[in-house]
Amino acid sequence: MNSPLTPQTRSNPIQLAKAIKFIAFAVTVGALGLSYVYLKNQQFALGEEIRLTEKRIKQIRAENEVLLAKTTELSSRRALQQGMMNGSLHVVQISGDKIARLTPASPAMEDGVLRTASNERAAR
Amino acid sequence: MKRPECIRIAFACGIVAVIFTIFSARLVHLHITKNKEYKQLAAEKHLMRQVIHAKRGMILDRNGEILASNLPVRTVVADASLIKNPAAVAALASQFLGLKEADVLKKISSQKKYIVLKKEVPEEIYVDLDAAMQKAKLRGVTFEQDAIRTYPNGESLGHVLGFLDHEGKGIQGIELTMNSLLAGKNGYRYIERDRTGKEIMLYRGAEEEPVHGKNIRLSIDMSLQSILEEEIDKTFKELKPETVTGIILDPKTGEVLAMANRPCFNPNEPGKAEPEQMKNRAIIDMVEPGSTFKIVVAAGALNEGTVNEKTSIFCENGRFLYGGKILKDHHGYGDMNVHEILVKSSNIGSAKMAMLMGGDKYYEYVRKFGFGDRHGIELPGEICGLVHPPARWDKLTITRMPMGQSVAVTPLQITMGMSVIANGGHLMAPHIIKSVEDLDGTKILEKAPKVVREVVPEKTARFIADALVGVTQPGGTATYARVNGFEVAGKTGTAQKVSAKGGYAAGKYVVSFVGFMPAEDPRFVCLIMVDDAKIASNLNYGGLVAAPVFSRVAEKAARHFDLTPTLPPIPLQDMPMAKAETLNEATH
Repeated sequence: MNSPLTPQTRSNPIQLAKAIKFIAFAVTVGALGLSYVYLKNQQFALGEEIRLTEKRIKQIRAENEVLLAKTTELSSRRALQQGMMNGSLHVVQISGDKIARLTPASPAMEDGVLRTASNERAAR
Repeated sequence: MKRPECIRIAFACGIVAVIFTIFSARLVHLHITKNKEYKQLAAEKHLMRQVIHAKRGMILDRNGEILASNLPVRTVVADASLIKNPAAVAALASQFLGLKEADVLKKISSQKKYIVLKKEVPEEIYVDLDAAMQKAKLRGVTFEQDAIRTYPNGESLGHVLGFLDHEGKGIQGIELTMNSLLAGKNGYRYIERDRTGKEIMLYRGAEEEPVHGKNIRLSIDMSLQSILEEEIDKTFKELKPETVTGIILDPKTGEVLAMANRPCFNPNEPGKAEPEQMKNRAIIDMVEPGSTFKIVVAAGALNEGTVNEKTSIFCENGRFLYGGKILKDHHGYGDMNVHEILVKSSNIGSAKMAMLMGGDKYYEYVRKFGFGDRHGIELPGEICGLVHPPARWDKLTITRMPMGQSVAVTPLQITMGMSVIANGGHLMAPHIIKSVEDLDGTKILEKAPKVVREVVPEKTARFIADALVGVTQPGGTATYARVNGFEVAGKTGTAQKVSAKGGYAAGKYVVSFVGFMPAEDPRFVCLIMVDDAKIASNLNYGGLVAAPVFSRVAEKAARHFDLTPTLPPIPLQDMPMAKAETLNEATH
């Protein structure tokens, strides 16, 4: 049989310093864990935002390209000529004084030929 | 502690230790021994290599007009393993994609992970369908990025531009020859997906940016192309020939400004075209050039000193017996100098000049003018024509070749040959690519004009050019090639068509006119070639069929270039009735 305990050994005094250390350690570990989870969540949320933004950018780029293709189609020579033929477009003659020329003008009265305003340099 | 207690404790600890050892061993087995296998399984489930498509470069004309561009579309793909409600997905997808609901349901009930529901879905339909799927909280349908190539000008320039196959690779024209530059290089990215198929950004792996394709700027001027197309189209419809070919190029740089053929095809719908429509006859067809080839013998004989400007050659009054065969002229001529031989297009005079030069020397000039060689233009399928060396000639070849028989050349070669005369004697390398540019327009390669060789000195070229001006003057063979206010130099060609059975096809002619303008300082060389026009034989000549087309093209081109007229206006001429109806009138 064990010997009776002395009052000193029977009491179970709280070692405050150790307890505080333990609690601080536990709280730190817990906080770290929670922070990790929080940061991970934040990362996921940001990732999702990035994904959606990337998707939107891609979509806008695609829409831009669709519009470019449509503009090209509508302003193509074929479309313009068809427009001229079916009467939805027509050409307005430019008066001589509105034409900026890089080469000397040749009045229509002189040679009977209708001159145009094509830019010689652009055509080179 | 008593002994039995210790034993029990030790036993319990031993069991726990054994259990944990087994677990540890299993963990080691899974993590180390089976690592590769399970990693692969996990990767298959979640990891995927996402392709980032490179954008194909555009094709532009010299002024930046877009000739080929890309239209973004989507391929709608279903993953049956992710679809929880096939009926709802089928109903929604079929509504937006214009498919039968039963067909979609059948497809997505197959449990396959990659089911293509529809290709080439327009971007706006994709946006609507995606939104509807999200709203209905349905998953299992993805939209892969894709693009279709569009050619906004349709048939115009179709032979030059070419088209792509179903995999997006160029299989004709510039699309083929410049495919490596236009295509760029796809990028990639390793991604992980969650159970719904969405990318988990956190686990985005290695990635490589795509290298977008380069833009190709052609030397083609769409204004001139349009002018040429309109005229040859009109000719094709009116005269119903087998083919019509037209080329306009800058003789000083070798830049091709316009190139067109009829019949043609629409590169937006290549599947609807017949093989015959797809041929770029300007570079892959070879024909006997006829009298346009006379410039070679005249230039060669003058340059070699065999004849001079004043040398008189007897043209046998139109009938020259040589090698047992009679060589004829259209009219009987007596003595003529080189100038007159070209203006009157005398076969006998040309033959005699070649005979005076000798076969070897003449052959040397034929080759120097670029005949019998590929010019190396950046278009696929260019042929070199057929020019036999003197060792393989028969007795008559020396009299036939100078008038454009016993030799086969491409329309481009004829045009380049005439450019030699137009630019003062240099054979230029023809090119159709002007520059290669980045997407932002920065030039990364620019083609400079390249002189292949000096064929004849400027003096000789000038003399021939003067004679060719005479061809379009009253008394010449191509008065219909004249242009109001300008001096035109050129040469007609009327060659009997070679029959597939051998010899010549009766009543069938390949007629052409190749000329340049203004004669004193040429801005362009233009060839018009009409193969087997359906008109009466007495009208089927280069001067009557091709020359008027040249005149119309050149007149409009002069306006486009804003050329200043140097000559007084010429009186209007009655045009020959070179129309299809004429055939009926002539035969009835």
